[in-house]
Amino acid sequence: MIPFSRDGDLVTARLTPTESTVLSALASQLVELLEERAAESPVDVLLAQLGIGGASAPPLDPAMARLLPDAYRGDTEAASEHRQLTELGLVDRKVSNARAVIASLGGGMLVTLDPAGVQSWLRHLTDLRLVLAARLEIEQDGDEGTGDERMLDLYDWLGYLQGTLVECLG
Amino acid sequence: MSQVLEDVELHVESLADQPWVTIVWNDPVNLMNYVSYVFRSYFGHSREEAERLMLLVHHEGRAVVASGGREEMERHVEAMHDFGLWATIAKEGE
Repeated sequence: MIPFSRDGDLVTARLTPTESTVLSALASQLVELLEERAAESPVDVLLAQLGIGGASAPPLDPAMARLLPDAYRGDTEAASEHRQLTELGLVDRKVSNARAVIASLGGGMLVTLDPAGVQSWLRHLTDLRLVLAARLEIEQDGDEGTGDERMLDLYDWLGYLQGTLVECLG
Repeated sequence: MSQVLEDVELHVESLADQPWVTIVWNDPVNLMNYVSYVFRSYFGHSREEAERLMLLVHHEGRAVVASGGREEMERHVEAMHDFGLWATIAKEGE
C-alpha cells in the first residue's frame, strides 16, 4: 500500500488488490448490517419519505449501538424521541458513505478522492473501525482486543489508512 | 405591531432555550488527529482550540464542545454521530 497523499484538491492512495477486495467486502457487510437495522424499523410510509419514523430503542448489537448511539444519556424518553426522528437519516448517510467507498475502489488499485469522497472515506473508515472494535471488545483506552489477531490487524490497518488520510488534509 | 410582538416572543423563547450543551465522550477507537480535524472542520475551531478540546476529551473522558439552543445541539450531536464520534445532549451543568 502507498498511503494517502494530497495533490491539489484530490487525494490519492494505492492499495494492493487484496487490500482493495477486503475493504470493499467490509464496506458491503456494513451496508447489510445497516440495511437490516433500517428494515427492522416500524416505518410509516409518509414519515419515511421525510426521513423520520425510525426505531425507538437502541440496537441490541453493541457494534450497531455504537454506530447509532443515544443522543441523551439517562433520559430514555428524550433519547427515544430523538432516535425516531433521526436514526433512519443517519443510517441512510452511513450507507451512502459505504457505497461511495465501494464505488471509489472500482477503478483498480489507485484510489482517487475528491473532497466529497474524502468526507465519505473519513466517516466510513471510522464506522468500520467502530464495528471492529466492538467485535474485538475494545471498550476503553488500552484494551488490546479478544486475541483475534486477524481482526486486530485489520483494525490497525484501517486506523493507519485513516491516519494518513487525516494527516494529508493538513 | 403584531410583527414586533412575535419577535419578542421568539426572543424570550430562544433565551429559555439557551442552556443546552453538546458533550463529546472519549472512546478508545477514534484517532486523536481525526477528532481534532472534526472539531476544526465542523465547528470551525482554530487548530489550538480543536487540540485543546480533543485533549480534554482524551484526558477527562468528556468535553463540552458547544452550547446553545436545544435544536441546535441536537443538530450538532447528529453531525457528530455522522462522523462516528460519541456525543450526547444535556442541560448545562448536568
